[in-house]
Amino acid sequence: MKQKITIGWLYPTLMNVYGDIGNVKTLQKRLEWRNIECFVKYLEPGFKANELNECDILLMGGAQDKQQEIVSKDLYSKRENLKNLIEKNVPGLYVCGAYQFLGNYYKKADGKIIEGLGIFDLYTENSGNTRLIGNIIANSKIFSYLIGFENHGGKTYLGKNIKPLAKVIKGFGNNGSDKTEGAIYKNSIGTYLHGPILPKNPKLADYLIQKALENIYTTNIELKKLDNFYEQKARLAIAKKLKVAI
Amino acid sequence: MNLFILIFGKIFSFLSRQFNLGHGSTWPGHIALKINPNFVKDYFLNNKTKVIIICGTNGKTTTSKLIETILKENKKKVFINSSGANLLNGIASSIILSSSLFKKENYDFAIFEVDENSIPEINKTLDPDYIIALNLFRDQLDRYGEIDTITKKWKESFKNLSKNSVLILNADDPQIAYLGNNIKNKSLYFGLNEKNNNKISHGADSTYCPRCFNALTYDSVYFSHLGNWKCEKCGLEKPKTNISSLPYYPLAGEYNKYNSLAGVLLAKNENIKEEIIKTSLKKFTPAFGRQEEFILKNRKIKIFLSKNPTSFNESLATINSLKADNILIVLNDRIPDGLDVSWIWDTHVEELLQNINNITVSGDRCYDLGLRLRYAGSSEFKIEPDLKNAINLSLEKTNQNQTLYILPTYSAMLDVRKLIIGKKIL
Repeated sequence: MKQKITIGWLYPTLMNVYGDIGNVKTLQKRLEWRNIECFVKYLEPGFKANELNECDILLMGGAQDKQQEIVSKDLYSKRENLKNLIEKNVPGLYVCGAYQFLGNYYKKADGKIIEGLGIFDLYTENSGNTRLIGNIIANSKIFSYLIGFENHGGKTYLGKNIKPLAKVIKGFGNNGSDKTEGAIYKNSIGTYLHGPILPKNPKLADYLIQKALENIYTTNIELKKLDNFYEQKARLAIAKKLKVAI
Repeated sequence: MNLFILIFGKIFSFLSRQFNLGHGSTWPGHIALKINPNFVKDYFLNNKTKVIIICGTNGKTTTSKLIETILKENKKKVFINSSGANLLNGIASSIILSSSLFKKENYDFAIFEVDENSIPEINKTLDPDYIIALNLFRDQLDRYGEIDTITKKWKESFKNLSKNSVLILNADDPQIAYLGNNIKNKSLYFGLNEKNNNKISHGADSTYCPRCFNALTYDSVYFSHLGNWKCEKCGLEKPKTNISSLPYYPLAGEYNKYNSLAGVLLAKNENIKEEIIKTSLKKFTPAFGRQEEFILKNRKIKIFLSKNPTSFNESLATINSLKADNILIVLNDRIPDGLDVSWIWDTHVEELLQNINNITVSGDRCYDLGLRLRYAGSSEFKIEPDLKNAINLSLEKTNQNQTLYILPTYSAMLDVRKLIIGKKIL
């Protein structure tokens, strides 16, 4: 029987500012090329909490402030379901605004604190003066060099119960000072990298797919190798630009 | 003092052109403002020149040129800042370049296209007679920030306009239309009024009510978030338009309809005769890189500047309607382009490239573009990092009676033109 994966895309019309659709397209194509069926669930505000349970991979991107407010309200009410899935090792990718929102809180430039979902042990502060913007390369044990573009006003600090995703080689990462980038908890990944992240980081894309299949079929899975010629060329172009040997 | 600046500025600009130090359209102004920060303000004091400000993500240069054409046809004396020189220093430079040292020039109009972020500063300095706001789409997020941030700044700045300033606003763009809400100034609206069943597609930006932030409903969608919109919750809706169609449009593409409508609406408010408007539209030649045409090796080349998802999608839609068969896309990530190329994932290449056979990609980030096309399911395209080779290659594959369409980002457009005409643009 043909394998099948359901991708849950959280708030596609609101949280899509930085080309986040590219992450969905990447998973779809890499599944298609491996002859695995793929279904994308578009989870817009007002979706039913139990729809989350049908998803094998979760994706959520970044947004403008007002959009983020709508999303916050909506997702608070489904917090328990989301937390359960993350604790149960359902793989997910949470970029920028979504990454911050999974943390304990977000302190705005005016000092106002916005409560987070409290699933990732981290917090974010926005000092209001400069945004951290530019190409970034960070080294991760599991995914080797992660390459992308970051553009965020918030600085994120990790707590004791979560590990950084990667070590910053060039760029700012979580906060521009402690050299950490992103966070990994169970099979969930939080990151500031867009670009979008998955097309140029196929190892990470395949990790999400592999973990999803392992959850579904409760066995170790080895994915069919794909030709990553263009991916490699695009990665090398940035690495060369930033003078990093990868 | 200002005479000294003029002399100095003119010499500087002359030298920089002679010695190819750059195109001289911002440096003289930059220095002028260093010497006298009020240089621009002083110039327009006790001066009858009417000032027209044009802002928006896409269409500034074309709209400026269109208005310039109409006003000149109407025998008015006009000066204009050069495209890309759209900060205060660019405006100062245009004053230096258009002023005479020996007599007072009496210009009837000054037309300035203005960078999104500079609107508050320039409104404060200039007290404009007209502000045309065309649209706001996601564009160079690393430089401009998100759309809501820009509209907030604009709305604040519009509150302080003197009461004589006339606003010319795009009724089909909810955030732009809302700039005219609750404001004491005369506001005129342009927009389309064509029925269709298009739906909002991915990547549209302002689809939420600018007043109460409920999701908007649309009768018709023209492209991105432009259309006949309405908020079911608070009742805010697309304002009544003062103009919605023209018998003749000088350039192809839905987006150019808006540029023409905006320009003509201004002309009508200046009581310029229909005949003159009509003649000007017929005479209009495109601004550089905006559907500009060249002949090279017996083949026609058309350049469509494509610098953000909306302009890229609209360029593709337009060249599809022109039955394009040959395309060269050039993606750079230099400062004028924006350093972040993630926007290419918001383009609709899946649908818009499927009828085009000869596809080549080039530019600093050609491999990102290649990756984008690969994930769009195309396999028949060529990646050529060297721009000169890319142009030659795509021309070779273009038949004699066909057109090669080049879609470059901003700096890529300058490079393409330089290669084609063999000299720098001025």
